[in-house]
Amino acid sequence: MLQNYFKIALRTLLRNKAFSAINIVGLSVGMAVAMLIGLWIFDEISFDKYHQKYDRLAQVMQNQTWNGVTGSQTAMPLPLAPELRAKYSGDFKNVVLSSWNFEHILAVGDRKFTKTGNFVEPKFPEMFSFKMLKGSQKGLKDPYSILISESVATALFGDTDPINKIIKVDNKTNVKVTGVYEDLPHNTTLSEVTYVLPWEMYLATESWVKNSQDQWNNNSFQTFAELNPNADFDKVSAKIRLVKFNHDKQDAAKPMVFLHPMSKWHLYSEFKDGKIAGGRIQFVWLFGIIGVFVLLLACINFMNLSTARSEKRAKEVGVRKAIGSVRSQLITQFLSESLLIVVFAFVLTLVLVTLTLPWFNELSDKKMSILWTNPYFWILSISFSLITGLVSGSYPAFYLSSFDPIRVLKGTFRVGRFAAVPRKVLVVIQFTVSVTLIIGTIIVYRQIQHAKNRPIGYSRDGLIAININTPELVGHYDALRSDLLKTGAVYEMSQSSSPTTAVYSNQIGFNWEGKDPNLQALFGVIAVSHDYAKSVGWQFVEGRDFSRSFSTDTSAMILNEAASKFIGMKNPVGKNINWNDKNYRIVGVIKNMVMESPYEPIKPTIFFINYGWANIINVKLNPAMSASASLEKVGEVFRRYNPGSPFDYKFADEQYALKFSGEERIGKLATFFACLAIFISCLGIFGLASFTAEQRTKEIGVRKVLGASIFNLWQLLSKDFVMLVMISFLIATPIAYYFMNGWLKNYEYRSEISWWIFAASGFGALIITLLTVSYQAVKAASANPVKSLRTE
Amino acid sequence: MLKITDLEKIYRTEDIETVALNKLSLEVKKGEFVAIMGPSGCGKSTLLNIIGMLDDAEKGSFMFNGEEIIHFNERRRADLRKRNIGFVFQSFNLIDELTVYENVELPLLYLGVDAAERKQKVEAVLEKVQIMHRRNHFPQQLSGGQQQRCAVARAVVNTPKLILADEPTGNLDSTNGNEVMQLLTELNEAGTTVIMVTHSEHDARFAHRIIRLLDGKVVMENILG
Repeated sequence: MLQNYFKIALRTLLRNKAFSAINIVGLSVGMAVAMLIGLWIFDEISFDKYHQKYDRLAQVMQNQTWNGVTGSQTAMPLPLAPELRAKYSGDFKNVVLSSWNFEHILAVGDRKFTKTGNFVEPKFPEMFSFKMLKGSQKGLKDPYSILISESVATALFGDTDPINKIIKVDNKTNVKVTGVYEDLPHNTTLSEVTYVLPWEMYLATESWVKNSQDQWNNNSFQTFAELNPNADFDKVSAKIRLVKFNHDKQDAAKPMVFLHPMSKWHLYSEFKDGKIAGGRIQFVWLFGIIGVFVLLLACINFMNLSTARSEKRAKEVGVRKAIGSVRSQLITQFLSESLLIVVFAFVLTLVLVTLTLPWFNELSDKKMSILWTNPYFWILSISFSLITGLVSGSYPAFYLSSFDPIRVLKGTFRVGRFAAVPRKVLVVIQFTVSVTLIIGTIIVYRQIQHAKNRPIGYSRDGLIAININTPELVGHYDALRSDLLKTGAVYEMSQSSSPTTAVYSNQIGFNWEGKDPNLQALFGVIAVSHDYAKSVGWQFVEGRDFSRSFSTDTSAMILNEAASKFIGMKNPVGKNINWNDKNYRIVGVIKNMVMESPYEPIKPTIFFINYGWANIINVKLNPAMSASASLEKVGEVFRRYNPGSPFDYKFADEQYALKFSGEERIGKLATFFACLAIFISCLGIFGLASFTAEQRTKEIGVRKVLGASIFNLWQLLSKDFVMLVMISFLIATPIAYYFMNGWLKNYEYRSEISWWIFAASGFGALIITLLTVSYQAVKAASANPVKSLRTE
Repeated sequence: MLKITDLEKIYRTEDIETVALNKLSLEVKKGEFVAIMGPSGCGKSTLLNIIGMLDDAEKGSFMFNGEEIIHFNERRRADLRKRNIGFVFQSFNLIDELTVYENVELPLLYLGVDAAERKQKVEAVLEKVQIMHRRNHFPQQLSGGQQQRCAVARAVVNTPKLILADEPTGNLDSTNGNEVMQLLTELNEAGTTVIMVTHSEHDARFAHRIIRLLDGKVVMENILG
């Protein structure tokens, strides 16, 4: 019997090739999207699970309140870790310190590379279950040792065994390789840790780190903790809450220490008012919902096309019933038909996903692959396919099997007046989803464009930043600058404590005349050299630039507009600000520079002259020369001053563009999904239009004989679909407005939702619909009426 | 074989009631060949559908093989139908996606007959109606007469006790029509009861008895020699 079902199903599919193609292609596109999203979600939720102690690891964080706003940060004081170890040994198995993930130069002979890594305490590799390929996890006990990842080992040593070989770090310290570990996979937070260096070495080589050992107010380090098996994150968090505050009860920021479990690092990384406020989990939900919807759209097509064809299948149902088939047998038959289609679609899905995955990986910045060998993957995707087949096959099955055999066989069977209503509802759902996605996509792109067009307050053309991470570049400011200028390739050079695309340091301890004594003021602070303004193209609102002509400018300050506004003085230029008991004179106010997020308000920021506190060399290339020629010459000078290091530079505009990468990724994904949703919906109405045209062949023939033009008939056939799209548009508009308004609220600096976005989306959907329907409508309308009238 | 007493069937639309069968009574004995005639709308098709258990009546009694079936549910009726009744339609109603052989085989599949027996039965009946040579063709590849012979073959393949024919020659020319009538007569002579609805006096003369209906009632019975 089942064989008979499949036989008839296969023949039906082959006979109606266009219909089958629409059904299978539509369904497999929907399933492919669902599978891609499924892989993406799997990758997201399996983040950090590489670490065996995933369930017991946490980062120690603190909440601090500045200017009335509570912020959460991972930067912690150095003495916190030893205190946790000593006083809470019952709760913690391990507590380790780590530096930030910084670039350092690793050199072996002539091979030099800039790689990112951390200084960590010796237990770190064990805690994070580094998989050692050579050597041991305990390799950091020697203060001049290093553990390197496999890829760093290959880069530095090729095929030779790196163990006990010497690497020179930042051109000043020799360390011995004591282990090689498997690269941390891309879906771990620590994936950029390509080597680890001993904490002892950090203390020995950096005097400021040594000096931080008893400073409870210097938040410059990361602290990671491993709980004892029986301990609970929340309970331990509550216990250690006041551990920092107890060391300085006067601290106005009221620091509250807590644990952020590893399971939340990736998906719940955003904090608001000291509490977790979400993060990427929102995208997991969003994409999950989109995936379900796209799949649903495909299922809807399936149902619609199957029921639209019902009149053609009605006879078969009637005959089968007369011969003795009961309804349940017919339901089984139609379900097995839809399962057969799903099987075809699933095979096509695997092909589609295999083909598009590399591209999708690039789009989503991941390294996913089809999990061919994972049984869960197969169980999940096959059961999903079966459910899809059942969901999309059930409505046609119940509908078709309910036909009354008498009327069908008598030939008096006509699909009732309301039979098309569910089909119309389904089309409306499809277009509602599609139009919502179009509106959403436009709004995302407008927001990105809006932020890109934001005035940045400086000139980033031809501006490059070079990290000062070797001693050779320190102390030769004037000589380096004059050599660079001499090449003719450089317009100006300066140095600063932060690049133009970040603010590395925030400070407290400021006082000024008229300040509210209760206000705990926090400013971004950037140390610069005298030539900074010229190299970045500052725009002055009032006052003047730092000048070598005034020796007093070593205690001068320049504020950005936000800082000037925050201080609230009418004419700030010439007034004094006291910072850590030293007086500074305000000499100028500049236009706000967008240094951090282009979506956030500008932070009050203070600039002052300090040649000792420099992390970055800013070089403005000569605009009259080509960038590559200029870089050649600049590189020559740098190699002369800094022979041990590769010449690494970053363009300010490229760094700035990175600030948009997250949103642009969302934009691209949203476009991708919106296009597919439209594609699937169009396939659906294309199929429906062809059946409508077929059903109305006789009517069209009669109308033509009576004098209807092709245009009249085109109108007649398109009208219904246009109505449905209009209804969808009316439903989609408030839905899209609600969600996108909510999304935009994440951004302080945001674009407006203007009416034309909705108009354009509605109009676009309408045009696409008309184009889709017109093909069928014109075809039907231009057919010879004699032929259609002769057919019974 | 079957006995119908005071059967009533009313069709209702929003505001009109149409009486299709009005206290109709009828008895058909085993082995009879009965023709039902009457003008359009007299209720003959309704009657045939009720006898064929595709439709049910409002009131009255319908004894089939000594069993009252008027209140049977769909499943029991389907079961009774597939064991006892074969249908022949005016418009053949073959399934386009199945070959001649597969169309004829279908009732046996629903009865759960095993493969070897199916093959033997289907081939026997195809021989009998003389379309064995077209067994692997699809319905559209056949002439009208061949299609109707195939439909008759499908109706009799499971050796039903009763054949219901609804204007079996309606879509055929006279030569093909006569062939089909000949086939029905042969089946009847072999012991199968046949009830046929027809407009054609010529076809009706193949029967033993003609029942004429008007407005849902039997108005005349002619016993033929």
